[in-house]
Amino acid sequence: MDKIFAIVKKELLVYFKSPIAYIVLIITISVFNTFFFTIIDQNKEATLRDVFLVMEFLFMFIIPLLTMKVFSEEKFSGTMEFLMTTPTSNTQIVLGKYIGSLLFFTSIIVFTFIYYLIIEMFGSPDKLAVLTGYLGIWLEGAFFIAIGVLTSSWTRNQIVSAITSYVILFLLYFSMIYVKYLGGMSYDIIHYLSTSTHLKNFAQGSVSVSDVVYYLSGIMLCILLTRVSIENRI
Amino acid sequence: MIIVQKVNKFFGDFRALNDISFEICKGEIVGFLGQNGAGKTTLMRILTSYYLATSGKVEIDGNDIVRHSLLCRKKIGYLPENPPLYMNLTVRDYLKYSASLKDVEIKKQKMQVDRVLDDCNLKDVQNKHISILSKGYKQRVGIAQSIINDPQVLILDEPTIGLDPLQILQVRQLIKRIEDKRTVIISTHILSEIEQIAKRVLVIKNGEILIDRPISVLLDEENISRFVFVVKGDRNEIEKVFINSKEIISESFDSCGDVHSVKVKVLQNWTNHNELIHKIIRAKAELVEVKKLKPTLEEVFISKVSNQYIK
Repeated sequence: MDKIFAIVKKELLVYFKSPIAYIVLIITISVFNTFFFTIIDQNKEATLRDVFLVMEFLFMFIIPLLTMKVFSEEKFSGTMEFLMTTPTSNTQIVLGKYIGSLLFFTSIIVFTFIYYLIIEMFGSPDKLAVLTGYLGIWLEGAFFIAIGVLTSSWTRNQIVSAITSYVILFLLYFSMIYVKYLGGMSYDIIHYLSTSTHLKNFAQGSVSVSDVVYYLSGIMLCILLTRVSIENRI
Repeated sequence: MIIVQKVNKFFGDFRALNDISFEICKGEIVGFLGQNGAGKTTLMRILTSYYLATSGKVEIDGNDIVRHSLLCRKKIGYLPENPPLYMNLTVRDYLKYSASLKDVEIKKQKMQVDRVLDDCNLKDVQNKHISILSKGYKQRVGIAQSIINDPQVLILDEPTIGLDPLQILQVRQLIKRIEDKRTVIISTHILSEIEQIAKRVLVIKNGEILIDRPISVLLDEENISRFVFVVKGDRNEIEKVFINSKEIISESFDSCGDVHSVKVKVLQNWTNHNELIHKIIRAKAELVEVKKLKPTLEEVFISKVSNQYIK
């Protein structure tokens, strides 16, 4: 556990010592603020439902930028050799790196809590729906990060890592568009795999086991594949 | 301490290591020599468990490197060819991170970091970002991380590459300071460095061990001796003496006025010293000094390895 904590600490130290982290943080919050006020102004409702859906869409673009360097930079700079020759297990390395990115992502989410305070001031929002919405967006972000960490372990090139993440995330997000051309079992599978299907439920205040299992199993699968990926180094 | 048995390593169809076997005892300092691409780094990566051998067995202090990988890694300190550094971190943060990953007890981490900062003369830059350090400092930070956990085995791949002579001396002194307690494997192209630090060399060529001997034995085996004759007299006459002596190969002829310094190469069993001296006297020259040069590892390496290349 100490080693996971040490890796998490180092990841966060590196994130917050890099100007890119602050640029991403400022741009993300600014864009979120713009959408938040636009949505609230249009809907005239004390709900964050649509805000969560916009956040999901934006995270699809932002998260690959956060995760692209997790392993690829280590591979490129040669520090992967250091990491893999210390008495640290591959699972500890992957978990440390994953949790580090997840905590940075969580800090972005925390900045958006102010939206709830704003709608609370001007209306009576459904507290449960806000809570489940935040849980949903956090789980979805956690899943996107797991995908980003996985693609980062495949290459030493950060751009390739980000592009690969975009391809996977776009396929998961936009897969519902193709569903209308399909029927039967294919429809069910794609419907289940699409990320947007699951977040909608959370945003509306309903949490089902199926949705939670979707995110958790996706995260676990990606972490497992990342572990295998860093193990196979010739 | 280290046992390597019939280790082979393939990268696709390319055989990087071919049936490598050797043993290194506790406290021994061994130099890995060989041209670029000979397989030194691959072998070091197998010893540190970064690579898995395609076949064969490696044991560190009685533990199999595949089955007890974490235990073996705990006993090893490793400096790869390019020091593995996080440019955004300060020297202290990086060493603290290294200590955490290398099982240094939390209570002792600060003490160990201070110790290696002191050992590697890094105290004055401990709070600076690694990215702004000179190459010499970066190299020393790399060495510092490799000894942070007091490893029993220290593996250094080209620890002095790119350093200036003063920095090389500092690194050499550092290795000398830590050698008493540890088994050290060092790979370098600077043979004079190996000669001063190591007691045994493993010469690797095309993935095979060409030579595995103590340096003293290797130097004694050298069948060529070198002499310097300092002779006073007419240059042309003296040159003729050395050129006409069949068993002697002149390597250099330097003159300062009528004093000439002739460096020659002869076979180890050469016995015609007197004949040569008579020839010099007959040429109306005066023999001022004769000095036998000690063979260097560099000369032995070049003669042994280049012979193999010719074959």
